[in-house]
Amino acid sequence: MSVKGVKEESDQLQRERSLAVRANIKRFYIYVVLALIVILFSVVKLGQVEMFGRGHFLSPASVINLLRTAVPIMTLSGAFTLLMISGYIDLSVGSAMSLSAVVFALMILNGFPFLLALVIVLIMGIAMGALNGLLVMKLRITPVIATLVTLSLFKGIALLIVPGGLSAIKGSAEKVMPPWINFYARKAVLLGMPWAFFVALAVIAILVVVQRKTILGKYAAAIGGNRTAAELSGINVVRMGWLLYVIVGFFAALAGVARASYMSLGDPLSGDLMELDNIIAVLLGGTAFSGGEGSVAKTIIGALIIMCVTTGLMTVIPAYWQTVAKGSVLLLAVVLNHLLVREKVKA
Amino acid sequence: MKLTDNVLEIRDLVKDFPSVRAVNNVSFDIKRNSVHCLVGENGAGKSTLIKILTGAYARSGGKILLNGKEYSPHSTKDAKDKGISTLFQELNVVDQLTVAENLTLGMEDTTFGFLRKTDKINKMVSVMNSLEPSIRPRQLVSSLSVAKKQIVEIAKAVATESDIIIMDEPTAAISESEIARLFKIVKGLRERNVTVIYISHRLDEIFELGDYVTVMRDGKHIDTKPVAEIQDRSELIRMMIGKTVFEAYTPKKDPSQETILQVRNLSNHKLNDISFEVKKGEIAGFYGLVGAGKTELARAIYGVDEYEGEILFKGQKLHPSPNKVIEAGIALVPEERRSQGLFTILTIRGNVPVMNMGKVSRHGFINAAQERQVTLEYIEKLRIATNSTEKEVIKLSGGNQQKVVFSKCLFADADLLMLDEPTRGIDVGAKSEIYGIIRRLAEEGKSILIFSSELPEIMNICDRIHLLYDGNLKASLTNGYDIDSEKIIHIVTGGA
Amino acid sequence: METKQEHKNTVGARLSNESFLTLFMIGVLVVLFGAACAVVPNFYLPQNMLNLITNNWFIIILGIGVTFLLISGNFDMSVGGVIALTGVLSAYFCQGANVSQNALANGLGLPYGVAVALALLCALGIGAINAFFIARLKVPSIIVTLGTMMLARGIGQVITRGAQRNTSLPDVFGVVGNIAIRGTSIKISVVIMVVLVIAAFIFERMTVPGRRTYLIGANAEAARLSGITVGRHLTFLYLTSALLAGITGILLASEFKAGVSSRAMGYEFDALVVSLLGGVSIAGGFGSVLGMFVGAVILSVVTTSATGLLLSPDWQFTLKGIVTFIAILAQRFALDRRKG
Repeated sequence: MSVKGVKEESDQLQRERSLAVRANIKRFYIYVVLALIVILFSVVKLGQVEMFGRGHFLSPASVINLLRTAVPIMTLSGAFTLLMISGYIDLSVGSAMSLSAVVFALMILNGFPFLLALVIVLIMGIAMGALNGLLVMKLRITPVIATLVTLSLFKGIALLIVPGGLSAIKGSAEKVMPPWINFYARKAVLLGMPWAFFVALAVIAILVVVQRKTILGKYAAAIGGNRTAAELSGINVVRMGWLLYVIVGFFAALAGVARASYMSLGDPLSGDLMELDNIIAVLLGGTAFSGGEGSVAKTIIGALIIMCVTTGLMTVIPAYWQTVAKGSVLLLAVVLNHLLVREKVKA
Repeated sequence: MKLTDNVLEIRDLVKDFPSVRAVNNVSFDIKRNSVHCLVGENGAGKSTLIKILTGAYARSGGKILLNGKEYSPHSTKDAKDKGISTLFQELNVVDQLTVAENLTLGMEDTTFGFLRKTDKINKMVSVMNSLEPSIRPRQLVSSLSVAKKQIVEIAKAVATESDIIIMDEPTAAISESEIARLFKIVKGLRERNVTVIYISHRLDEIFELGDYVTVMRDGKHIDTKPVAEIQDRSELIRMMIGKTVFEAYTPKKDPSQETILQVRNLSNHKLNDISFEVKKGEIAGFYGLVGAGKTELARAIYGVDEYEGEILFKGQKLHPSPNKVIEAGIALVPEERRSQGLFTILTIRGNVPVMNMGKVSRHGFINAAQERQVTLEYIEKLRIATNSTEKEVIKLSGGNQQKVVFSKCLFADADLLMLDEPTRGIDVGAKSEIYGIIRRLAEEGKSILIFSSELPEIMNICDRIHLLYDGNLKASLTNGYDIDSEKIIHIVTGGA
Repeated sequence: METKQEHKNTVGARLSNESFLTLFMIGVLVVLFGAACAVVPNFYLPQNMLNLITNNWFIIILGIGVTFLLISGNFDMSVGGVIALTGVLSAYFCQGANVSQNALANGLGLPYGVAVALALLCALGIGAINAFFIARLKVPSIIVTLGTMMLARGIGQVITRGAQRNTSLPDVFGVVGNIAIRGTSIKISVVIMVVLVIAAFIFERMTVPGRRTYLIGANAEAARLSGITVGRHLTFLYLTSALLAGITGILLASEFKAGVSSRAMGYEFDALVVSLLGGVSIAGGFGSVLGMFVGAVILSVVTTSATGLLLSPDWQFTLKGIVTFIAILAQRFALDRRKG
């Protein structure tokens, strides 16, 4: 072997070794970040409140509240991650969620049983996802533009459904919102957590398994990683992409039901910026924008991080600091993601 | 199905393009379970033939029999399904998946969507193992070298029982030791009931690897022989270039002695300590085959890629950034005209003045009349076939598109022009027009660097010829009546 | 056969694709306008006609920056936030210092001119952040600009504690946003808008940097190889877009005599919509500010008709979405047909 050959071998070994170190950092950084955030908020008010006592970040009431508020994003971000892994994006998820919340609340207000209302809304979610799939995969409109169009469509319909004069579907003098609407997402069932929380856990578990162990997860990564190779291997990219959009729509609807149930009303603006929270979660979780890489589990941790930051900040700083905080977190998440992920170079 | 002796039979195959017959009544057979090499100069028709076999092009005439049955693939996927897999230079693996996942991509066994670990996977993994045990199935493909990624593709083709694997210049991007490993694998494929069609310019590889070799030239089939019957490289070379008479090259009457470009010890990921000089008014050719490093050299000089070493232009150090290089007086006609050289959705007028907008504008305001004037000048000068400056460039033929790129670079008032594969994909008529333009420019005192893989091109117009192989500058010759084209081919195909 | 084809194209060929599409959208505008006149009561009133162009002036100014960035292949969703930020800052910087117990009534006491200059500087700062992430780190522009949008608006919210700053302002604060041309109700902001649009059109058609924007959008790699410093140009575009948003913010704050942190919510979306309606393609290298202007008028016609037909303002979102969608499809259809 020539001198050049020897150098090439040791170069290759060095590459493999540094890749291994990088891989380890990628596996564990997010737990470190979550731990740091939790510690930060636990410690920051220790002068004024007792550890685990009333008002403390880790007090039972606070934790329950945080997790309950986190239910919608936990329900949705797994599916969102799968879509991003395949290289596509959906900016309409927040509005889809709001619309679902509004429709659900409307039906409950008008006497529909819970299960029927739920099923109808979920079907609507599938339809919303199918519309996105149609625009992006079939009509080949850029995902950003296409989902901004559907964003305005869903938001518009939600605003139109709410009768004039009201800000949300919440009952009036003539009709009263049945109080049992919140049994799904607010009423404590086990360990102080409501049904919706356990449903969200189940959803997460299912999607983690889907991403790691089923053909849907694998094909999403293949399409995002190298679309040509995927097509050559016989994968129907259009059909797969469509399916992923439908799944996102379905879980957006489920998230909307949880939100309506928790707030006991259907607010057409409740989903605003939900897509941003999802994007932050996905960025923190190390998903590449060009697709191919990503992890549902890490996105969920990322979602927890963003929820901790949101609720934690509320105890420390006045509400009007929320937006700048969120913007900064997004930009920080972008930097973090940039450092972690080596994006595919666009040919 | 009775297995025929010949896995592939090609009969009177013809492929016509609007202005050229790229494949001209080619007929030959490929024996089953052999390594069959395909050689020929650029433009010989090899790539077109391969594109027909992989379904990228439809044939214009003749027929192909695969295992005795008519074979007419309409896409690369279709070809794959019918038994012909191809190892392209752009690897078709998904970096973000593991080796095992890549092997089974598209062919997974599932229960209700869950991926099952079945015998199929084990079989594929064992094929992989037998080819290269150091590749672990759970490794991410992104962590593999290019050579190992190739092996994964080969394993997949073998495991899916392809009859034929086409390998197109597979050694262009891999190291020596990896080449040795690849050869071992290729030779072993014969025992696995796989036939390999191997395309390469590196003639040593033909002798080491091949059972048979087919030589093509000018779209025609020259000969198909067992490699054992070929005496030496020279015989092969003679078959490749035939008795081509090169248009008489006329040396310059008054060659300038002034050095305009000095490259010293240029090295980067591909290039190895390259040094040379170019004189004012000289046409310097850089000849080499695929993977020799021609484009990398052009890009390094142009400042697009990083490098170590020094480049002096007109006595000044050249800064490695395209706009500084252009300012200093060098312009590049890039290799891929559509993706690198042109703004295809714009018009001719939108393209031509781009590199020297200062000349058609004042204080930043564009003078549209001047733009149009300049564009018309170049349309006339270079005889671009269009009746309007407002024609969208995408609608022009390849030759005319290239002329637009030329106009763009000429308008930059460069003293030195670098042309990367200047006549690729261009018909004969436009080709000689472009050669005329190049000669005229040299007479006007401009220096030209031509990077090309077409020997006739280099021989016809270049004053100095630099030969590249595997990132090294192997030899620099002065063109003249006594130039030995066989020796040139010998050097660029790896000979000493 | 080729010559016959070319002859057919000669007449139309003189018309660039952008001009064709702008004319197409003008045609659409005329049709919609006609329909509106027919269907909507009281539509055909001179005041209404004027309003179609004047009541969208801020979207049009934003649209200039957004259009150029789209032509180069990028988004800018931060403009609404920048409007809010500069409006708030312009108020805060020139509010009287130490004049009141109420913190929201105290500012830095600087002269109005200085306040405006500093506010615009901050707008440029946001533009610089955008440029850093997008041109340097090469992060997708949609994400970054949504982040800077929140950052900008968020800073505005902090300074106004979520509300607004509208007291202890010097008299000159309310001047520039409210002066009208003598004898009419046309505010000077509208004039500024017209001037900027004309300047932008000249920039786009007749200047070298304008042309560069198209080149980068058409083929960034070819642009680089042709000597264009893409990063520098994108930085310029993002700074300009931020500056335009900043100017709009100053004007709006002056008009309403208040720096409001919730100003211009959703304006970035509207700016995007009017650009798309005007034929700008996200694929890059194609589009015109004139088209965007036509798109803005189309949007005006649609929303005014909706109001005239007594549809509630909640119809806005749905209409915008539908109109944009139809426009994208129609434009694609028209261009495909043209290519033959």
